[in-house]
Amino acid sequence: MRHRSKKWALATVLALSIVLVIGGCGNNGVNGGGEPEGGSETKADSGGSNAASGAGMDKPRVAFVYIGPPGDGGWTSEHDKGRKYMEEKLGIKADTVENVPESADAERVITELAQNHDIIFTTSFGYMDPTLNVAKKFPNVKFMHVSGYKTSDNMGTYFGKNFEASYLSGIAAGKMTKADHIGYVGAFPIPEVIYNINAFTLGIQSVNPDAKVSVVWSNTWFDPTVERQAAVSLLDKGADVLLAYQDSPATLQAAAERGAMAGGNDSDMTRYAPEAYLTNPVWVWGPFYTKVVQSVMDGTWTNEPYMGSMAEGLVDIAPLGPSVPDDVKELVAAKKQEILDGKLEVFKGPLLDQSGAAKVAEGQSMPLEEILGMNWFVKGVEGSIPQ
Amino acid sequence: MNEGYTVEMKQIVKQFGSVLANDRVDFRARAGEIHALLGENGAGKSTMMCMLSGVYRPTGGGIYLHGRQAGIRSPKDAMKLGVGMIFQSFRLVQSLTATENIILGESSPFWRGRGWMKTKLEEIRSLADRFGLAFPVDRPVWELSVGEQQRVEIVKTLYRGADIVILDEPTSVLTPGEAEQLFATLAHMKSEGKTVIITTHKLKEVMAVSDRISVMRKGRMIASMAKSETTERELARLMIGKQIPAARPAQARSIGKPLLTVKHLDVYAEHGRKALGDLSLQVNEGEIVGVAGVAGNGQKELAESLAGLRSWKRGTVAFDGMTFKTASVRAAMEAGISHVPENRMRSGLAGSLGIVDNLLFKSYRSPERSTLGFMRTARNRAWAQTLVEQFDVRTPGLDTPVRQLSGGNQQKLLFAREISRDPKLMVAVHPTQGLDIGAAQGVHRLLVELRETGRGVLLISEDLDEVLQLSNRILVIFGGAIVYETKGCEADRERIGLYMAGLTEEGEAV
Amino acid sequence: MNQQTVPAPLASGETAAEAKTKRLPFRLEFDPSRPDSPWWITIVSVLLALAACGIFIAVNGMNPVTVYAKMLTGAFGSSFGLTETLVKTIPLLLCGLGVSIAYRISVWNIGAEGQFVAGAIAATAVTVYFPGLPAYAAIPAMLVSGVAAGGLWGLLTAIPRTFFQVNELITSLMLNYVALLVLNYVVFGPWKDPQGFNFPGTPVFTEAMSLPVLGGTRLHLGLAFALAAVALYALLIRYTRWGYEWRLIGANPEAARNAGIRLSRHIMFVMLLSGGLAGLAGMAEVSGVAHRLMYGISPGYGYTAIIVAWLARLNPAGLIISSFLFGGLIVGGYSVQTIGLPSSTSSMLQGAILFFLIAGGMIGKFRLRRNV
Repeated sequence: MRHRSKKWALATVLALSIVLVIGGCGNNGVNGGGEPEGGSETKADSGGSNAASGAGMDKPRVAFVYIGPPGDGGWTSEHDKGRKYMEEKLGIKADTVENVPESADAERVITELAQNHDIIFTTSFGYMDPTLNVAKKFPNVKFMHVSGYKTSDNMGTYFGKNFEASYLSGIAAGKMTKADHIGYVGAFPIPEVIYNINAFTLGIQSVNPDAKVSVVWSNTWFDPTVERQAAVSLLDKGADVLLAYQDSPATLQAAAERGAMAGGNDSDMTRYAPEAYLTNPVWVWGPFYTKVVQSVMDGTWTNEPYMGSMAEGLVDIAPLGPSVPDDVKELVAAKKQEILDGKLEVFKGPLLDQSGAAKVAEGQSMPLEEILGMNWFVKGVEGSIPQ
Repeated sequence: MNEGYTVEMKQIVKQFGSVLANDRVDFRARAGEIHALLGENGAGKSTMMCMLSGVYRPTGGGIYLHGRQAGIRSPKDAMKLGVGMIFQSFRLVQSLTATENIILGESSPFWRGRGWMKTKLEEIRSLADRFGLAFPVDRPVWELSVGEQQRVEIVKTLYRGADIVILDEPTSVLTPGEAEQLFATLAHMKSEGKTVIITTHKLKEVMAVSDRISVMRKGRMIASMAKSETTERELARLMIGKQIPAARPAQARSIGKPLLTVKHLDVYAEHGRKALGDLSLQVNEGEIVGVAGVAGNGQKELAESLAGLRSWKRGTVAFDGMTFKTASVRAAMEAGISHVPENRMRSGLAGSLGIVDNLLFKSYRSPERSTLGFMRTARNRAWAQTLVEQFDVRTPGLDTPVRQLSGGNQQKLLFAREISRDPKLMVAVHPTQGLDIGAAQGVHRLLVELRETGRGVLLISEDLDEVLQLSNRILVIFGGAIVYETKGCEADRERIGLYMAGLTEEGEAV
Repeated sequence: MNQQTVPAPLASGETAAEAKTKRLPFRLEFDPSRPDSPWWITIVSVLLALAACGIFIAVNGMNPVTVYAKMLTGAFGSSFGLTETLVKTIPLLLCGLGVSIAYRISVWNIGAEGQFVAGAIAATAVTVYFPGLPAYAAIPAMLVSGVAAGGLWGLLTAIPRTFFQVNELITSLMLNYVALLVLNYVVFGPWKDPQGFNFPGTPVFTEAMSLPVLGGTRLHLGLAFALAAVALYALLIRYTRWGYEWRLIGANPEAARNAGIRLSRHIMFVMLLSGGLAGLAGMAEVSGVAHRLMYGISPGYGYTAIIVAWLARLNPAGLIISSFLFGGLIVGGYSVQTIGLPSSTSSMLQGAILFFLIAGGMIGKFRLRRNV
């Protein structure tokens, strides 16, 4: 009896102290904005100048929020490479938080970082709403969200035209397939993945009009087991070249075991299966991150959405695998040059959707906003987009 | 001094708490004989054998094997000295095959290779064949019948090199056919020079299979003789005892009207075994009816049926003017039947809970103890305190987990609970099992008190002394039916013993 | 007879046994009837877990003290950390409470995760099918449907257990996956936000469908639900007939049957309650924190709740403490990353705590005996 009541007393004290702390701090103006509003604390803490826009700063405190682990060998690993590049160029140290789910946890992590950082990169589409919510509460902190479409005064977005590289990968795939059947493992049916599948398909069709592209959704960014299953299901269907819009090299490894060729996404994956490696689009974040952080230091940062192209160097195509014959390599290199020179445009009419209805008329280019909201497959893709 | 005895247990004393299980017992067995250790349940024969096989350690006395003192501290030690015991409940791993069970624990090379298991299978099979023990050596144990599992146990013991083999109540789980086979095996083992010891309370078996017989009663060794020197009748007398209890129930009291009438009850136990067949009995107000019998003859099922825990196939149970159609614990409780179950810690008390919670078991629904779904805690504690005092339960406090109490105090607590409900009928099963003499007397006083206040008591017990001492009428249960009835004052111990052993007065098997 | 062969093993056996006792003056004996280990074992287990993980942290080149300090300040050191920890405490407390009730009568419900998801889905259904409800109607409706769905999900485990003796461990675990698949179906399919660019989630809830929050924090009314539920639970197990019956069933089901208690009825009711509480947690999470139903709505609250319940030894006050502690562990686990530790640190700690807790409970069942 006695020790039970003791426990209750302990719990009561705990509960009371919690209420007191919250209540007490509430009066000091915790409401998120309180801290930057007063500014005094932040200033004292950083020892530098206020992060008000327009004014520059010497050493901005930078943070990155990652969806996966930096060792995923794909998406997050490229961002982490970019971070290190930036750190080296500018001589500053950035903080990272990995494995942050795209849920309520994200908002907490971003809020926590916002309290003592000047610029925060949130590197997954699902962080869009949490980033926006936090940005509203911390007007003096800059937020950069990847691949989203919502911005605010202190929140910008950035992404790249990786579909240009997807198109080039398609050329290689279309040349390499013997079965005229190519598989694509998509993470989620969102525009980012859809326009890459479309660009890839257009690339294939430019060299191999008979080839068809089968798409399966894994509904995960990073889950090697599921990605592998998806890849195997495509191989079982008869595809002999695969591409995966995923964060891990599981698809490439599955294809290698079956003697098929494959590419991954985000980074050069040759090392995982050199013989089976085709190619894929890669990201080059380093110079961009350096530029953004520099702009914060200079006080020239803007929330302008940024869409980097191949010509600007944000996107590239990985070196083609050792088993790809030289003529294909030359063809891809030639086409790449055309893109760099602005001679080749990926989404240019005529474009038909799966049913054969014309979406973009002959000779017309598709505006970037439409590409970024793409919600339909081009003719030749086998698969469906859940509506 | 040795005279060829392979086993000698001298002046063995074993005490469990305050209970004396074995009191200066001498036991000797020779190689090449089947030695039956005969006695009622609780006579102390299993305890003796458990000490021989290292499960228990004697409190006093010495064990000698082949004439040398043996330091047996564990079953492993016993096994090393060639003593193996086959328990009533088998110790086999259900998912392993018979052979794997037999060789379990044996040291073997880390890498067994492909032929290893094959060799072992052959080895086990030939060993089993040698003793006429047929069972599929390569099947998982759960697929085997009970008889086959017992054979696995026997082969396991032999495989480990036992030359002294103890079987505890070996036929209790077997069909008659399987028992015959077992006896053949035992004879074979005897002919190979093994010392075979079986414990049993079945006279017929003893006469059929053994060479020598030792009889135990109440923790003491009563007699030891060759089979040829004795008869079933004499053994029954020795096993049951003949001393007449001092206090005989006062028969002057008038017996009241009928309270419980059971007619033609058929009850089936687990696995479709018929536990009670056409059983009828009656208990009147103000009398103690004793049901004597050897364990496993339907006592448990009878008590459970009356307490509403077990349903019956056929027959009627009428109590105090009403007839129970189906078994219902609540109905039985509310009608005024109290039940002191066989194993108090298993089904009577909750060991981890305190005194108050255990006392509330059956009465917590009454408005005295709870209102509107809330327990009347303060009131219940006061009530529990008075019961504890009234029944003299020795406990450090009302919240002490009851498993920390002694057996006697646990039983007092159980009686306190049952009697506090003011029952009309008390069904008490082995109420003094495991209690020391003082505690047992306390329980007897409570039962007599119930009778004196006009309640009926159905006392189901294996302790014939207890039954003789307390009962107004005595019934003998055998094979799920009442085979004999007598008045308490006219009871003849010897005759009851015969019926308990399944014999008629002429000494023939029923 | 075979007497000649026997003395050899006899002699050697005797000496071996003698030698053994001479070497070890004490031996460990397993005694399952020993009373439960004292409460401080729990604290020792947690400390040992911290120490063990400290070794790993040190191997990683960090000072464990700094890391734990960072974790502590991240989780409890600021009003922000504290409120966020409390936000995490709510689902852990409710789910932990749910499983505790089931564990009290030895029904091993490990399906809190699925019951949580079922509650979240059902609460969201209200927002999908009755989008225009005002707050005073929407919140209670979400509450009722969330609790009901969680409870029904729990019943799906209780019914086969009661009538066909199907092991509830397996059914409750399997139903977790069923609930997750249903969740994926609705967020990828019919309930997907049409403006969400195919992101697997429903539209964001309106103000009327969101639980009120405290000031500018994310701490929502769910905390009141959770604390009220714990208070009710404490009341229930200590002062009511149900509580008494559960105690009895938990301590000795056969004796409970002897006392005329119908186990089947209790199992059903308790699973209904257990699932209902997890369902309430799911409702509070979508309505109070996420403000939408989305893919991966639960980061495993239902599983962590099992550890929470054991750490608390099913005791109500203990549940508050342990869920708060685990909430802090999750929040603090992200905080330590900013000093360069991987996110697995907090998972490692959670696992280590459970490990030492079970080991501690087991060790408590042994006693040291003098060899005589």
